[in-house]
Amino acid sequence: MSDADTRSLPRIVRNHRNAFGLVLAILAALTIVVTVVPGGREVVADVSGVITASYLASAFRLAVPIAFAALGGIFSEKAGVINIGLEGLLIIGAFTAIVTLHFLPETTAIWVVWTAFGLAVLASAVVALLFAVVCIEFKADQVIAGLAVWLIALGFAPFASIIVWENVNSPSFVTFSSVSIPVLSELPSIGRLFVATPPVFMLVVAVPLSWYVLNRTTFGKWIEASGEDPKTLDTAGVSVRKVRYAGVVLSGVLCGIGGAGLALNVGQFVGSGETMVDGRGWIGLTAYLIGNYNPIGAFLASFLFAGLDALQIQLQQIAGYDVSSTLIGIIPYVAVVIVLAFVGRTRMPSEAGEHYESDE
Amino acid sequence: MSQTESESAAVRLDGITKRFPGVVANDDIDFSVERGTIHALVGENGAGKTTLMNIIYGLYEPTEGTVFVDGRAHDFDSPRDAIDVGIGMIHQHFMLVDTMTVAENVVLGNEPTKFAGLVTDERAAIEATGDLADRYGFDIDPTERIEEISVGEQQRVEILKTLYRGADILIFDEPTAVLTPQEVESLFEIFEELIAQEKTIVFITHKLGEALSVADEISVLRDGELVGTLPAESADREELARMMVGRDVLLDVERHSSDFGDVVLETTDLAVDDDRGVRAVDGVDFAVHSGEIFGIAGVDGNGQSELVEAVTGLRLSEGGTIELHEEPITDWSRRERIEAGMSYVAEDRQKRSLVMEYDLVRNGVLGSQRLPEFSDGLQIDWGYTRQYVDDVIDEYDVRPADPGAEAVSLSGGNQQKFIVGREIERDPSLLVAAQPTRGVDIGSIEFIHNRLLDLKTEETAILLVSSKLEEIQQLSDRIGVMYDGELVAVVDPDEVNEEDLGLLMAGERPSGLDVDGARVRVGGSHE
Repeated sequence: MSDADTRSLPRIVRNHRNAFGLVLAILAALTIVVTVVPGGREVVADVSGVITASYLASAFRLAVPIAFAALGGIFSEKAGVINIGLEGLLIIGAFTAIVTLHFLPETTAIWVVWTAFGLAVLASAVVALLFAVVCIEFKADQVIAGLAVWLIALGFAPFASIIVWENVNSPSFVTFSSVSIPVLSELPSIGRLFVATPPVFMLVVAVPLSWYVLNRTTFGKWIEASGEDPKTLDTAGVSVRKVRYAGVVLSGVLCGIGGAGLALNVGQFVGSGETMVDGRGWIGLTAYLIGNYNPIGAFLASFLFAGLDALQIQLQQIAGYDVSSTLIGIIPYVAVVIVLAFVGRTRMPSEAGEHYESDE
Repeated sequence: MSQTESESAAVRLDGITKRFPGVVANDDIDFSVERGTIHALVGENGAGKTTLMNIIYGLYEPTEGTVFVDGRAHDFDSPRDAIDVGIGMIHQHFMLVDTMTVAENVVLGNEPTKFAGLVTDERAAIEATGDLADRYGFDIDPTERIEEISVGEQQRVEILKTLYRGADILIFDEPTAVLTPQEVESLFEIFEELIAQEKTIVFITHKLGEALSVADEISVLRDGELVGTLPAESADREELARMMVGRDVLLDVERHSSDFGDVVLETTDLAVDDDRGVRAVDGVDFAVHSGEIFGIAGVDGNGQSELVEAVTGLRLSEGGTIELHEEPITDWSRRERIEAGMSYVAEDRQKRSLVMEYDLVRNGVLGSQRLPEFSDGLQIDWGYTRQYVDDVIDEYDVRPADPGAEAVSLSGGNQQKFIVGREIERDPSLLVAAQPTRGVDIGSIEFIHNRLLDLKTEETAILLVSSKLEEIQQLSDRIGVMYDGELVAVVDPDEVNEEDLGLLMAGERPSGLDVDGARVRVGGSHE
């Protein structure tokens, strides 16, 4: 769609064209199902039947790794370093959390699980820092280095699992226990939304906070300038190197939270196949592209994908539909192709992926 | 030249020498700028102007010599140090982040903050920008995004940026290169306003006319040396040109008006999209005859590049037809067009015309690799190519005269002379020359201009696209003006003045020119 075609649209629709496009597509699909497909009305009724507060709560929980990876990707790429190693960083976070539990005393004391969480974030941040060094100091191709982060994590975590537990999957350990928000959690019907594990609440805080940091703080503007026009930032007297390091390390921290949140919810590290992370980092990447580098848009896309995943589980359990999980699994990728190719509102930072070298 | 000690000098350079490996970019330069004056620094490309300014701005450290600002010696480690003593630079390529607002750009790196310095105080930024704009009479909305404002306005934002940082001495690096004549006028009015507020201006340019009209003093650099400093009122163009080049330069080339032959290139209702899919050329028709130079004038980015790419076969057109010798070539490949006798001097010579790591021999065969003289279909005839390249180097005065030299080792002017030679010696029936003298020194410009005029007598049709008005006016037999993707006028260079051309380039309709429907046509018919 060219700008001319859409000039007549209200500004809010133009600026959030991806979101509106996605919503319209979903509404259109729903209408078709209800009106055209035989028995479609019943399907929709069944589906809306399973959408309850507890369903939404599980969608939130499933969104944690996806959305944190997406937030991380935004910070890194906006600063000018394309980080496609998000998936690998999630794996590092998940594995480190569980392996820490293995070496800690077996108690349900709250410090144990938080120590595991903290070390997981640290490990992911350190790996991100290494990635940053490779990209910024040694000028490696960011996409290739990012792939390496994923492949190394994908190989290393199951390998280390075998060394520690003689199996790619770990035994079960303690998990995060749920926290209830007083009063709100006692509300009828929606109260269930206010009982969740800490990572879910962290996500609820991290999304608007990320938006605020990127759009309102000085650091956020430096991040933007570093990805759009590093030379200008440099001439303005701000070190592009430092800003880019900060962006990448922050992506490591956020992915660490996402990975640890995933593993500490289950209390186990699963290293078989694509590991327990199972593509959530890649979905996070598609989520922020659909969200056009806006943390809120990226979160909504993550939530949508997580919601579809949860829906598939619920439909199977409650309504007896047998929807293939692999079919649900391709939705994010199909959506990102549609959004990038046809809605076309996603705009990459101009200098993302390009090395910057100061003249001085 | 002699250097008078002066208390009022805002900037004084004392014996500045800058050596890069193998090159002396600045050689023992003494130079001073009086407070509250405009000092123009002229010289050919590669004369060392920008290096010198980068030393003042702290981007480079001088090998020898000292920079004095307000009588005090300074040793700048970075632009930050220069900014701190009140030096600001308005770069030729604007240092602005397109996606951010005017105010955000103005304060970038020096943000007014709140909440313990973490958060940019947007209101304060907008206010500071607005106040500065008011003070200097700029009409600018601080909340607009850079990508939404014109090039002239962007330049004003650059100026605001330096003023916001407290600059008293403003260095302008080729500020008029991207402006329309009207925008140049208003830039010069801004200069006056800045001087009225006791700022000092150093103005780098290679346009002698501009230097003469606004500057108080003019310094000329040649090959890294300061040839001299003259008061503007007692200087004239010929003298300055001689100082710049080191010999007499013919500033006005003689345009031989010859009779034109048949139509060689004709476009009808041509439509071309740009990379983003936005219509960049819309309904353009024109014809170029053999023995004619048809010039296309326009501010950069009004569809000229897309038009050239469509004609040369580098970009598919979306509608309309292109004919070469009355044969439709709209769907022809680039190779077919070359074989039909189309030569092309590309706008971006390093990207499109040369492989920088190749030597001149291998560069010489680029584009001709399938022509029968150069190749038997399987192998390139290197003997012939070598001979061809030797001829080009010889006739077009390419230096160094070494066919084994890599393209990257040649100066811009010599690269361009080589390309022009390569394309012309192939005996084309149509030469498409896009910005043939961009970034080329004055001596090479003269040479290239004369070669293009010679080519006319050989009955070649020439499509000349240039954003340099002077060039278009001097060389063209007819001038087409492009604005916003349309050919808004076709005029006779003898019947139109620079001001009217400028208005046409800005999308205005000058009074006094014949207006024919949507188009202005003056003496456009040579059928």
